[in-house]
Amino acid sequence: MQIYQIVLIALFVYLGSIGSIVGNTIGWYTLGRPLVAAFVVGLIMGDFQTAVMIGIALQIMYMGNVTPGGAVAWDLSYATYIGTAGALVFGRGLDTAQVIGLAVVFAGIGGLVGQIMWNISYALNLPLNRIAQKYAEAGETKKMFIPNLVLGQLIGFACRFIPAVIVLTSMTAASAQGDFASLIPGWVTTALGVFGGMMASLGMGIIISFLFKKKYHIVIFLAGFILVTYFNLSTMAVAVLAIIIAILYYVSITSLEAKRGDMQ
Amino acid sequence: MKKISQKTLKKSFLNWFFWNGCSQQAESMLGLAFGQSMAPVIDELYDTKEEKSEALKRHITLFNTEAQVGSICNGIVCGLEEANANGNCTPDLISSVKVALIGPTSAIGDSLWVATFIPILLTICLSISQASLATGWLGPVLYMLVYPIGTFMLSWYLFKLGYKSGIEGMQTFMSTGKLNYLTDTMTVLGLIVVGALTASFVTLKLPIQIVRDVYDAAAGQVLENQVIFDADKVVNSIFPNILPLLLTLAVYYLYSKKKWSPLKLMGLIFVFACVLTFIGYATGVYV
Repeated sequence: MQIYQIVLIALFVYLGSIGSIVGNTIGWYTLGRPLVAAFVVGLIMGDFQTAVMIGIALQIMYMGNVTPGGAVAWDLSYATYIGTAGALVFGRGLDTAQVIGLAVVFAGIGGLVGQIMWNISYALNLPLNRIAQKYAEAGETKKMFIPNLVLGQLIGFACRFIPAVIVLTSMTAASAQGDFASLIPGWVTTALGVFGGMMASLGMGIIISFLFKKKYHIVIFLAGFILVTYFNLSTMAVAVLAIIIAILYYVSITSLEAKRGDMQ
Repeated sequence: MKKISQKTLKKSFLNWFFWNGCSQQAESMLGLAFGQSMAPVIDELYDTKEEKSEALKRHITLFNTEAQVGSICNGIVCGLEEANANGNCTPDLISSVKVALIGPTSAIGDSLWVATFIPILLTICLSISQASLATGWLGPVLYMLVYPIGTFMLSWYLFKLGYKSGIEGMQTFMSTGKLNYLTDTMTVLGLIVVGALTASFVTLKLPIQIVRDVYDAAAGQVLENQVIFDADKVVNSIFPNILPLLLTLAVYYLYSKKKWSPLKLMGLIFVFACVLTFIGYATGVYV
């Protein structure tokens, strides 16, 4: 990777993390989503078709990674930016399934670094309470942005940008040692392919645990499943069908409630 | 009669919308961000330094919510501060209302917005990207537009709702049942799409086969290395993609019923993948 690519990707790792300057809606929940993150890496690295494929796979795998109550299960921003960049750098000459397997491994490494950095920034932010207390004591309404925005931001930037640069630089140095695709034995890439395909079940399994609220919900899930396996519909076609069904469902349950209201 | 100007309300909202997560930590969670959001309001409503100091101090204490839907809290607190400045409310009431808002707004935000709306929007965008490689950029670009703009509008609407109608507004919003219907509908939509995604993205093969030399009576010759038994084909002829389905349901079971962590599940999947690869090489599926 070129230096400007490393700097740009590291910058996006920071922007896509929790509490960056652009806010969580644009940052963590948009730039930090694997689908978007991989697309950004693809643009920076100049291979966006492979990147989007990796993005789809990582997005499915991490679909269940939401942050209920602020507990970060896995640092998505780190995981995808590092994972996609790693797979693009090391995956030349490998087929799609193996590149995805590689991306899963690098995403795991990235996610781990991100998790550590998150915990460090969480601890470093604690003294900010004292500073905020001081300003509040003095009634300085105009300075309340300092502990939150300025100092919180500096800590966040340092904890995200610098480690990302180090990780990406060492990846670049390692990839210069030789052609990775020819160095790793065939059984490793096969295992990576198998692993990558199975990992998608992690994201799907976790997300259905949020969606299964009633026992019969599993039937609705199965309906979507067999539309693809038995009827050979594309996921896009199923999505369109699902929207139609959802609208009909909403109309019927609300009109049922309205009728019940009339009878009373 | 004191009134918060439209400009100050906007400033307060924007402070919150963009920087609610900047200084998150274990002591006051989003407390400092809440303080920054309330600072312009306090500055406008109170005159003396003592009043401002008191107000600021009560807003840098512990506060947490799902920040995007939770902007309704900021709106409600703005309304209460305004009432307090006019002598119609007490600081104690403001603090207790604020604490009481943490639970319900986090629950709605996390379950409806973060755990339902985001995955559904993502799955739709994923399907668009997957449909054709040439238009793969369409999915991420669509998400980058729809999600932030949609969330911004919702967040600003809830903020204004909170300010105008206060606690009562939130109660009517929650008690009409509309919210439940909306959640139910989103769940149905989500389940169908996630089912489809599971079918197309989770791959798991049973790499067991038996290879023999077969004597072909019709041609009168021995055919070498014929696959006479392919476990994966047999399983799929019973129910297509049953193995990926069972794997996904197993992950669901272990995660939600047995409380396994994602990391532990990842380890289990890794071990399984290695075992399956080994079996595949042993029976000659992979060469």
